[in-house]
Amino acid sequence: MSHSIALMQEKLLNTPAPHLYSKRKSSWIMQQVMIALVFPTIAAIYFFGWHVLVMVALGIGSSVAFEYLYQKWKGIDITISDYSAALTGMLIGLSLPVTAPWWSIIVGSAFAILIVKQLPGGIGRNAFNPAVAARVMLKVFFTPWITNWVTPQPDVVSTATPLQYIGNFSRAVPEHMGHGEFPGLWDLFLGIGLGGNVGETSKLAILLGLIYLVGRGIIGLKIPVIYVTAFAAIMSIYGNFSFTYMITHVLSGTLLFGAVYMATDYSSGALTPDGKKVFALGCAILTALIRIVFNFPGGVGIAILIMNGFAPLIDKHFASRIYGHKKRPAQEHS
Amino acid sequence: MLFQFNRKREGAYTEERKSRTEHRPIEEATVPEYLMFPLAMHIGAPAKPTVEEGDYVKLGQLIAEKDGFISANIYASVSGKVIDISDQPTVHGKGPCITIKNDYKDVRAEPLFKQGEELSQKAKLALIEQAGIVGMGGATFPTSVKLSPPPGKEIDTLIINGAECESYSTSDHRLMVEYAEGLIEGIRVLVEVLPVKKAYIAIESNAHESVAVMKKAIIEHDHIEIRELETIYPQGSEKNLIKTLTGREVPPGGLPADVHTVVANVATTYAVYEAVRLGRPLTKRVTTVSGEPIKEAKNLWVRIGTPINHLIDECDGFQSSPGKMIHGGPMMGRPLTSGQVPITKGSSVITFLEKGDIVPAERTPCIQCSECLNVCPISLQPIMISNAYENGDIDEAEKLGAMDCIDCGNCSYICPSKIPLLENIRSAKSAIRARKEDK
Ligand code: SF4
Ligand code: SF4
Repeated sequence: MSHSIALMQEKLLNTPAPHLYSKRKSSWIMQQVMIALVFPTIAAIYFFGWHVLVMVALGIGSSVAFEYLYQKWKGIDITISDYSAALTGMLIGLSLPVTAPWWSIIVGSAFAILIVKQLPGGIGRNAFNPAVAARVMLKVFFTPWITNWVTPQPDVVSTATPLQYIGNFSRAVPEHMGHGEFPGLWDLFLGIGLGGNVGETSKLAILLGLIYLVGRGIIGLKIPVIYVTAFAAIMSIYGNFSFTYMITHVLSGTLLFGAVYMATDYSSGALTPDGKKVFALGCAILTALIRIVFNFPGGVGIAILIMNGFAPLIDKHFASRIYGHKKRPAQEHS
Repeated sequence: MLFQFNRKREGAYTEERKSRTEHRPIEEATVPEYLMFPLAMHIGAPAKPTVEEGDYVKLGQLIAEKDGFISANIYASVSGKVIDISDQPTVHGKGPCITIKNDYKDVRAEPLFKQGEELSQKAKLALIEQAGIVGMGGATFPTSVKLSPPPGKEIDTLIINGAECESYSTSDHRLMVEYAEGLIEGIRVLVEVLPVKKAYIAIESNAHESVAVMKKAIIEHDHIEIRELETIYPQGSEKNLIKTLTGREVPPGGLPADVHTVVANVATTYAVYEAVRLGRPLTKRVTTVSGEPIKEAKNLWVRIGTPINHLIDECDGFQSSPGKMIHGGPMMGRPLTSGQVPITKGSSVITFLEKGDIVPAERTPCIQCSECLNVCPISLQPIMISNAYENGDIDEAEKLGAMDCIDCGNCSYICPSKIPLLENIRSAKSAIRARKEDK
């Protein structure tokens, strides 16, 4: 018997190289980020109760629905199966305090999907991170309803967050805050007895999410590490090298959540290797500035959004030097 | 992970599929009845036939001679009769070939020189040229040209490229394991020809066996050093190898000689040994025939001119139906649709892929994951070039460095949205070239 390929050769494909492709798909990547968000979700359920699940479900459901309806209406490809809208919704659900009214989640999703994501052309084309833009928008326009911070059960009372006591030009950590003691570092790390947005309470859960994302090769350590260390360095200097002051700032508010899940967003962040460093550094400086000077809620979100706006410029400037060339492309052609 | 923090990855960990052949000794392939010798089996001008239809030729007899500076001689790999000189299927489409009918007598022509003769440095270089040796890793650039750099570009570093980065390919690896002595002799010849003090043998760290064997073989040779390299694609590309080993970067559009370096592939070095020590011209090579559809994947000593069909038979045919037949590896190889295509000097591996492996998933929008930038070995921004091309902005594509792309395929391989990045970059390159010619 001859094994000649003659009979089969008509069926051979002759598309050009490469002939193999990695198995990774975009939708798989989005799923991985959602899985990494499960850690903070579990922590949030533990601290704030089952209502967190309702928030997350509402976020995912409304985001996916808005994307579907918009694309249906526009008569363009429906892309909800790429999990990107679902991821945005999950982030929005986790970005609000447990007292946030249900409609605020839906308003946030509509804003994120319709205005921030779909208006510029959908996935990969949005200059700003939809979930971050939504939370900042909500904070700015709906403050009385959604910055009504609460500490977790059993007695849900409105309290201030630690940030309000260490921001606004304060250079040291006070002993008291409101009616109670200022939370200890360990409590801040684990998220015990803290108010705030449900997803960012437990720093431990966020770190687990980070380990998962880095281990899976979804994000690199570059952005989170530079963001957090640069921020910590600035706070150290400002706080007269008080370790407690610095670490309290690092563990408070959205910083870690933002550094892991928001500043690392593909579409709205920088693309080039060095651009990412500059991007993260910019986030750190702006966050510190907003915290020290303005005592404004949502400083991390605003910082990231501003840097989102600069990302294309940063990429253009910091695009890598090509092998064999003397300078970066931006300098070669200027 | 940590060390990746600052450094760009500059490559991809492509799937490795070498296990079927890496421990299997090289076998001698049987010789077919008809052998085809493409006149353009090297880069540069096609060789000019020195025989005519009906001529009797001996094994090792010149059948086509180099035509110009960048060209190479071609020798008969069997004895027999020239029955045809016409266009036949080759790796690069149909092209002129000399067809020889084998008489199965292997009557040998005179060697290139008489054994025992003292050879000068010049004579050795001339022998390498005469033997028709070209880069056997696939580039097929005439070796003698590499070894005679223009004045001002004196060579100070010799790199023996044993970094076989394409999956499936193990022909260089087996050559190192089984023919270490000849290889070392080949390196000695190259060092005699070039005024270099040091020669590096670059081997990927996954090839433990060849590393071990070569380490033993170089014990008495102080001027040869083994460099184990990370197993990452495209480690074996000339430009990357030079940078990894010497820190130098070949300038855009330049050659290794511009940074005083010569890179010679392992198989090429072995051919140099056969030519300069034994007086044998280049008439055979080791070729890996592998891939899941192949029943018995093998490394074979193949006479140049043997059609691929014959090698498929040598490997007991297929165990599943192939979707692609590739001259070279899955990242950079050329797809073939005819089994009549003969093995040439640059055929290091023939890869067969299953249907399920070759069809990319549907293209989806770019998610800006920056993976294509991370894996580009020369730090391009593949997606930006691709976008520029798709927007018709050829100027921008050129500014972004499209012409520097080395066609390694990493960007298209890694893209989770399956965007045909390399295809677009290639088209951008042709557009840029076409525009230059118009001017
Ligand atoms: S742009 Fe060219 S050199 Fe860079 S990864 Fe793609 S194919 Fe390779
Ligand atoms: S790898 Fe693909 S999806 Fe990722 S940035 Fe490049 S082109 Fe876009």
